[in-house]
Amino acid sequence: MAASQSLEGPGVRFFFEGESGRNTRGLLRLIILCTIAAAAVASRLFSVIRFESIIHEFDPWFNFRATKYLVEHGFYKFWDWFDDRTWHPLGRVTGGTLYPGLMVTSGVIYKVLRFLTFPVDIRNICVLLAPGFSGLTAFATYLLTSEMSDSPSAGLLAAIFMGISPGYISRSVAGSYDNEAIAIFLLVFTFYLWIKSVKEGSIMWAGLCALFYGYMVSAWGGYVFITNLLPLHAFVLTCMGRFSPRLYVSYTTWYALGTLASMQVPFVGFLPIRSSDHMSALGVFGLLQLVGFTEWVRTQLPSKQFQTLLRALVLIVFALAFGFLVLLTVSGTIAPWSGRFYSLWDTGYAKIHIPIIASVSEHQPTAWPAFFFDLNMLIWLFPAGVYMCFRHLKDEQVFIVIYAVLASYFAGVMVRLMLTLTPIVCVAAAMALSQILDTFLVASSPEDPETKANGSSKPNGNANIHEKIASAIPESLSSTKSAVVGIYTRLSKYVIVTACSIYLMIFVMHCTWVTSNAYSSPSVVLASRLPDGSQHIIDDYREAYYWLRQNTHPTAKVMSWWDYGYQIGGMADRPTLVDNNTWNNTHIATVGKAMSSREEVSYPIMKEHEVDYVLVVFGALLGYSGDDINKFLWMVRIAEGIWPDEVKERDYFTPRGEYRVDDEATPTMRNSLMYKMSYYNFDKLFPAGQAVDRVRGSRLPTEGPELSTLEEAFTSENWIIRIYKVKPLDNLGRSHQEAGLFEKGGKKKKASKRKGARVLRVE
Amino acid sequence: MRLLQWASLGLVTLAAADSNLTHESRNILPSVFKPPQHFRNVNLVRNINLDKSYAKETINVVIENIDKEPQSHYYLPFEPGTIGRIGAVEVKDKKNPERGGFVAEVTELDPYSPTEFYKITFPTPLKPQEQLTLSINYYSLSILNPLPAQIEQTDKQYVLYSFSVYAPSAYVTQKQKTKLKLPTTDVPDAVVLPKSLNAEGKEDPQKSGTTYTYGPYGEREAGATQEASVRYEFTKPLVHGKLLERDVEVSHWGGNVAVEERHWFTNRGATLKNHFSRVAWQASSYYNPPTSALKEFRYPLVVGSADAYFIDDIGNVSTSHFRSSKREATLELKPRYPIFGGWNYSFKVGWNGDLQSFVRRITGSSDGYVLKVPFFEGPKQAEGVEYERLVTRIILPEGAKNVRFETAVPIVSNSTGLHRTFMDTVGRTTLTLTAVNVVDELRDRDLVVIYDYPSAARFRKPLTIFAGVLAIFAVSWVVGNLDVSIGKKQKTA
Repeated sequence: MAASQSLEGPGVRFFFEGESGRNTRGLLRLIILCTIAAAAVASRLFSVIRFESIIHEFDPWFNFRATKYLVEHGFYKFWDWFDDRTWHPLGRVTGGTLYPGLMVTSGVIYKVLRFLTFPVDIRNICVLLAPGFSGLTAFATYLLTSEMSDSPSAGLLAAIFMGISPGYISRSVAGSYDNEAIAIFLLVFTFYLWIKSVKEGSIMWAGLCALFYGYMVSAWGGYVFITNLLPLHAFVLTCMGRFSPRLYVSYTTWYALGTLASMQVPFVGFLPIRSSDHMSALGVFGLLQLVGFTEWVRTQLPSKQFQTLLRALVLIVFALAFGFLVLLTVSGTIAPWSGRFYSLWDTGYAKIHIPIIASVSEHQPTAWPAFFFDLNMLIWLFPAGVYMCFRHLKDEQVFIVIYAVLASYFAGVMVRLMLTLTPIVCVAAAMALSQILDTFLVASSPEDPETKANGSSKPNGNANIHEKIASAIPESLSSTKSAVVGIYTRLSKYVIVTACSIYLMIFVMHCTWVTSNAYSSPSVVLASRLPDGSQHIIDDYREAYYWLRQNTHPTAKVMSWWDYGYQIGGMADRPTLVDNNTWNNTHIATVGKAMSSREEVSYPIMKEHEVDYVLVVFGALLGYSGDDINKFLWMVRIAEGIWPDEVKERDYFTPRGEYRVDDEATPTMRNSLMYKMSYYNFDKLFPAGQAVDRVRGSRLPTEGPELSTLEEAFTSENWIIRIYKVKPLDNLGRSHQEAGLFEKGGKKKKASKRKGARVLRVE
Repeated sequence: MRLLQWASLGLVTLAAADSNLTHESRNILPSVFKPPQHFRNVNLVRNINLDKSYAKETINVVIENIDKEPQSHYYLPFEPGTIGRIGAVEVKDKKNPERGGFVAEVTELDPYSPTEFYKITFPTPLKPQEQLTLSINYYSLSILNPLPAQIEQTDKQYVLYSFSVYAPSAYVTQKQKTKLKLPTTDVPDAVVLPKSLNAEGKEDPQKSGTTYTYGPYGEREAGATQEASVRYEFTKPLVHGKLLERDVEVSHWGGNVAVEERHWFTNRGATLKNHFSRVAWQASSYYNPPTSALKEFRYPLVVGSADAYFIDDIGNVSTSHFRSSKREATLELKPRYPIFGGWNYSFKVGWNGDLQSFVRRITGSSDGYVLKVPFFEGPKQAEGVEYERLVTRIILPEGAKNVRFETAVPIVSNSTGLHRTFMDTVGRTTLTLTAVNVVDELRDRDLVVIYDYPSAARFRKPLTIFAGVLAIFAVSWVVGNLDVSIGKKQKTA
């Protein structure tokens, strides 16, 4: 800086020095932050540009539907919303079983825009909410990092890392209208406020922290992470002997206000005082009171008496508190740990006890390459950043270390929790990188001791002595030189800075590539390439959902596997039996049983549940691997969990333990409703005996399956969605099989018109 | 001849003008009303064209005033229940088609009346003993019914058209015949009437190619009917639009005319006996046979249209093409699924046009403008499209006033209102026109809207935005300068 100043005269000096220099830097910082936010938003718009402004995947469809309900009916109706169009015939107390933060946020934005008479569609708000909040997240990360590091560049680096790192983009592309969309911003911002309040010991910051914690609770179930991390931080600080009035003020304020705020959400209710997940916060709250009390007593008493008192006190209180806790847990006042929580410690737990949780791909343990895929170079800068925290270990650095350790573990256990790891990785990596850049990116060399001595007008005895000694001793003895920290040669600066720049560029390219290829598919719409390279859109989902929406009765019940429940509710607007909420395992198992059993067993189940249409996803024509036959084993497993005598997973495997759909498939498999619905009429598309399943890569039996209780109602263009109508009960009280046989015998002509002879099933 | 409808709808005089209009146009008649027998139909030829999915009827009639006074009201009766499906009744002087001033309007009867009438008013009363040749044109919607009502997916579709061989008339008709123009020669059933009815004693009907002629018949009293029906092959969809909403948004600042049309279509054709079979559909797609399913909409737009979109309730429909060149602009829309009989499909399409090609400044006037747009566009199908109800909304710029309009499409109601959007303070002047029973043959008819747009109104929006931003700055400055700290602030050097 000094060199450039001398070259470029007083004009530049005006902008970079003193009061106006501060303003200039502030303005630059603001511009950079705005650019970062713009980059964060822009990189999430791939899918909007490539496809359209559409809600993605599964859960967002529910949030979208709930938001529409909120906007249409108002807040109080939404709060009391009993949804009879899902979980038929049970219904769902939707208002009391969701985190309303997301919907309310977009509802408020919608109302404000409407008040300003902007004719914005609620769908567009929902689609663009996640990118918008990611800009805010980048800003929050900047604030958080700036609290951690004195370096002016660390915050900005962290902001841009947070803005474009795929680990966060994966959950916040345009259209991915899920709780995480706003929750990560709230997470980071709550942490920032916490750090701020611990640093300042200010009730205001702690109050703000509690406020945002309350917002976070209303937005995402992951708030438990904060609920446990902040107490842990306080606990560790206390154990390290860093207890201070600042900590006491901020923690107690946060706990009291935050707990009250969180209890305002109906879905959370009394959990903060009753569930084990929240007990650590309460425990630490008590601990801090004790420590605060003893600190006060210590100032009043001589040390010897104090020590005895302390020992007795600690023992008594600990024994009392622990006993009380055990008592409450045993008596059931405090809910035991939830299943999802156990699966965090034992990755095999879910598979054995809760197949529904295990059947979700994002609940699987993370594969190692995923870390590199989602974080690229940040993952190796991350440990360096954490290490640097140990070098200046202040209260806030302790927080970083704890956060890093916990989040790394959780991210390893569950793919989904990569999301909570990403902020801390960005912060730590930015700290490490900014340290490198601050050291190497200084244009001027550190001042030579000699020049310093010459330049200083004040005569300095020590310097003179040094000088004398230095001149007296040959230069080859480097050890005799005074230790000067700094980089002298331009070469090393260039090399390091270039290397860093290249890494950063590769990082940007990697992020863009990952975002573009892995995370920007709406999964409702599939894209493929035609031979000439042009894009072809496979829109089967919406074709079938729209058909349902337009051409069936508004109260026609649709049965499908739970994955598609939210989509059917959102796009087809028809009641469903089960959906992605998965609150009732038995109901899901019932659907699983209907899908995996023989028609004779399934038909009464469907009739009992007033099912009108059955929807299956079938990818064999296109080679679309996410279809129901591939998910079928989970249906079997979940059904087996409730009816182990009637549905057995083993029956769906060949004696050699293979899962097959061709001639070798087991009779149970071939008679299951799912198999029949998937392959019904499929063989007619091919010359006789040539039907091929492109997903499983196997040739199908020559004889296609026969359906007697269902009839095909609609099949989408590429056969991805097949919809069947459940036949009404036979007029003459026969079973449908009997009726089918009779018709076959009585009207031979008609039967021969339908290709393929029917097979008599004797069961 | 044009049906002229001028309505002065200045914002200030809105209420008064509206009430005047309703009093003038209403003809409430008692249920026992019988049209006075002032006329006699000397000769009547009725042509019914069944090429499309609706019936286009043309009655050419020579009428004679048999009263002693000059008369100017001729009544056209319709059977109960049918008048709701009759649209676009237009009357011309056959001998002198350029002569304007014929007005056809529905008379309002109390609900128990067996018959309903259209009242035709001549520009000049017809003198006694004088003759006049009228050409009455109208469309009957939803008149074809598939029979059998359920068919297989690949079957041919047959429709039944029931009618009276005597033209609807409130007067004595001396001589008449009815000609049917069918789209095909595949006519399994056509009611044969006894020869005794026929004036010339010939076989009834006479067939010649696809034309079936009933009559001629001798003198028949007023209101005479003779039921007949034909059933013929019509393996095309019966496209029926339940509602078409059309918005035309004029923006002088943007130099843009944005059009959006929202359709609710249904296919009135025969429903599927078995359910839809994708196998059969895919197999038939190779040789593309005629089908009763609606596969595609072709949507010719005004040349120069741009930025077309085709969306429905759940997003963009990717199966559409927009062809735009200097000579044409055509939207080819493929619905998400083929629309078989009984199935519905609703969607919206929209596009932008250049303001220059729709709006002109009126010469000699400082702030008068004239806008000319098609009254509606909608798809143009070989089998025809009918709309039960059509609501066109012209959204003029904020501050436009003194709105007048003229159109050749028979409308049933008009109103002006306000529409608030995009930071409007008072809202945009909106003209809403409703027409019922419209068919796609009328799609080329224009709507001309004349309005004043003072230049003062132009600057309302920039000033609003300026004031808004100024307010934000002022508020943030005030908030930024508030000192809310509890303790004493430590002064930093």
